[in-house]
Amino acid sequence: MGAALTEALVVRGLNKTFAKPAVSDLDLTVRAGELYALLGPNGAGKTTTLRMVAGLTQPDAGEIAIFGVDARKDPAGAKALLAWAPDEAMIYDKLTPLEYLEFVAGLWNINPRTAKAKAEELLATLGLASEARRRCEGFSRGMKQKVALAGALIHDPKLLILDEPLTGLDAAAARLVKDMLQARVDAGGTVILTTHILDVAERMADRIGIIAGGRLLAEGTLDELRSRAGEASGRTLEDVFLQLTAEAAA
Amino acid sequence: MSLPFKPASTPWLLAHEMRLAWRGVSGEKKATGVGTIITFAILGAVVLAGGVFLALATRGHEVPITPFTVIIVDLVLAVILTLMLANTLAAAANALYERGDLDLLFSSPLSPRKVLFVRAMGLAVGAGFWFVLPAVLVLTPSLFMGHPHWAGVFGVLVAAALGASGIGLLLAMALFALIGPRRTRTVAQVLAALIGAAFFLASQYRTLMGEDASESLFARIALDVRDGRIQPPPFADLPLRAAVGEPIPLLILMAIGLGLFLFAARVLGKRFADAAAATQGAETRKAAKGPVGAFAAGAFQATLRKELRLVSRDAALLSQVLLRVLYMVPIAFVMVRGAESLPAWALAGPAAAVTFLAGQVTGSLIWITVSAEDTPDLLAISPPPMRVLNRAKLAAALIPVAGLLIVPIAALTWYAPLAGLWTALGAALCAWTAGLIGVWHQKPGKRADFKQRRGGSFLVGFAELVIASLIGGATAMAVAGLLVWAVIPLIVAGALMMALRRTDEQIAAALRAASAASN
Repeated sequence: MGAALTEALVVRGLNKTFAKPAVSDLDLTVRAGELYALLGPNGAGKTTTLRMVAGLTQPDAGEIAIFGVDARKDPAGAKALLAWAPDEAMIYDKLTPLEYLEFVAGLWNINPRTAKAKAEELLATLGLASEARRRCEGFSRGMKQKVALAGALIHDPKLLILDEPLTGLDAAAARLVKDMLQARVDAGGTVILTTHILDVAERMADRIGIIAGGRLLAEGTLDELRSRAGEASGRTLEDVFLQLTAEAAA
Repeated sequence: MSLPFKPASTPWLLAHEMRLAWRGVSGEKKATGVGTIITFAILGAVVLAGGVFLALATRGHEVPITPFTVIIVDLVLAVILTLMLANTLAAAANALYERGDLDLLFSSPLSPRKVLFVRAMGLAVGAGFWFVLPAVLVLTPSLFMGHPHWAGVFGVLVAAALGASGIGLLLAMALFALIGPRRTRTVAQVLAALIGAAFFLASQYRTLMGEDASESLFARIALDVRDGRIQPPPFADLPLRAAVGEPIPLLILMAIGLGLFLFAARVLGKRFADAAAATQGAETRKAAKGPVGAFAAGAFQATLRKELRLVSRDAALLSQVLLRVLYMVPIAFVMVRGAESLPAWALAGPAAAVTFLAGQVTGSLIWITVSAEDTPDLLAISPPPMRVLNRAKLAAALIPVAGLLIVPIAALTWYAPLAGLWTALGAALCAWTAGLIGVWHQKPGKRADFKQRRGGSFLVGFAELVIASLIGGATAMAVAGLLVWAVIPLIVAGALMMALRRTDEQIAAALRAASAASN
């Protein structure tokens, strides 16, 4: 596919049908070092798209390249570069956060000494240092989300994919996560996230993709989306989003 | 489908519980439910046929009320009661912890007492069902062929189920009060396993105590009673008299069972609600202290360590494994004690049993490590190949089995080296094949569904049993000195393994198909 290394993710002609088409001929490009927000109404195909990128769902057709690595031909090579954190935290209730991070670091073959230091640093940053050796079974949803986020970051992925990362977080935790993501992007990392909180996308995202019915309706910066929707410069992302999705539904 | 009772009434709530329980047995899918019904129907027909033979054989005969028959019925009832109690104790403890719809029920206008009463009824039905159902099938032909009074057996079983539920609830609540919410579930599960195995251990009392006995304790008691050496205690004839339909004994037993049940259900009603509320978050343990150990290096080591931690922290699994280990104890005693004095062939049976049980325990553990993976998506997005993760999970299933067997086999090897060697090889082979089958035919499930793990594929489950039996047989033959003959079952087992074998790609395809089917 010849994707340049400035492109973190290139998706071409992606298709997936379950009982009905979930994703249809989707083309998507996410540049390295940007925060990309994928927006869409419920059932738009956001999660299916991201699951295909993460290698969890097999596409019916299409190509996916992660930093130039063909995810379908070399899944292990592509997986080494990314982390995926769904809205339901992928953690083990009977493990402590430290044990969980040890396991995830092992899966990504991180040097044990480096991983241990990184795990302690991440848990401290996320305010979980005092809970590091307590089993996750008694944690709140927000705490579990934070443990899962630490798991996604422990191997320092080049591409971080987050599905509804702020679900279940209180205001302080949500702010902390947003700051961490911003810091990651500022440091050159690439983040793709889905969210229903349009304010977050409006304030944080470098570029935004709007998807509905499994098709990409529009993509670009907020200003580009506004002009695509023929909206005045003062209109919010919510206005643009509602107009574009309503046009698609019509 | 709506329930045919007045909403919020006790029968309505009980019907709701039974519906959930049935769906737990029959699986999530409609097709599986139909399969379950067909399986039950075939089994039912077989048992019913047995009932017809019984009715024909006993036509014109009555059960004599003698000390011998009295003690036989007492012993059978004791076994049934211990099994029911094991069931109800574990279920009563789980009823406190499994949130399920408990929060919904307690937040509704239903009184906590009604909720507990129905939960307790559910325990009784669950405990009694597996005994009453076959009894109905076996005895119904006799009821119509001259023995209508044998319907008293159903009354005895219902009384036993009610009594076992009452005792189970009381025990669970007593544990709760004594050791607190955090430990109750684990201790109750272990206690249930001990109670479940109690009749077996008791029957092997003489073996365990080192007596040279060829019959079990129960058989000894029955023979002593028959020969007049001992007399049954007062009122020991109540169960038999009730079972053959004498109204007063039947009423007494029903009153005892119902009384225990109502006492537990009514008196503990409010406490149950409080206890259930107290379990919320009660499983949170104190944070570990001391220095943090070094992290694991690589996917294999990290996965192995994670699986061993999860296995060691799974109370339900531990109780199941403990139950099997308890059955192994007398066998191991026989082997080690008899190793010096008994001829080699006398050790063949116990060697086969140890081998078979090694496979069974591994089968349970591999299901937990492979099929009941909590976060399959995390493993799916990670770079290591599936075979590395599966090997680590297989190792995690085999290590505890090796730990359990090492002492008895080492002791056996000390006294009878060759028998010890063959038993070790047989057990290792049986455990390894059970582990491989678990890896090849993994099917995503939840830890909570541990008891339904065999429902995945009847054929695979059956093949696993056959292979374990064949390897057990081969081990027995090797121990008995029939080495050449031992090759035959091994060849058959090998052929079956080849038929069951799946490549990594086939496993991945099967998992994808299962995932697509669940979407």
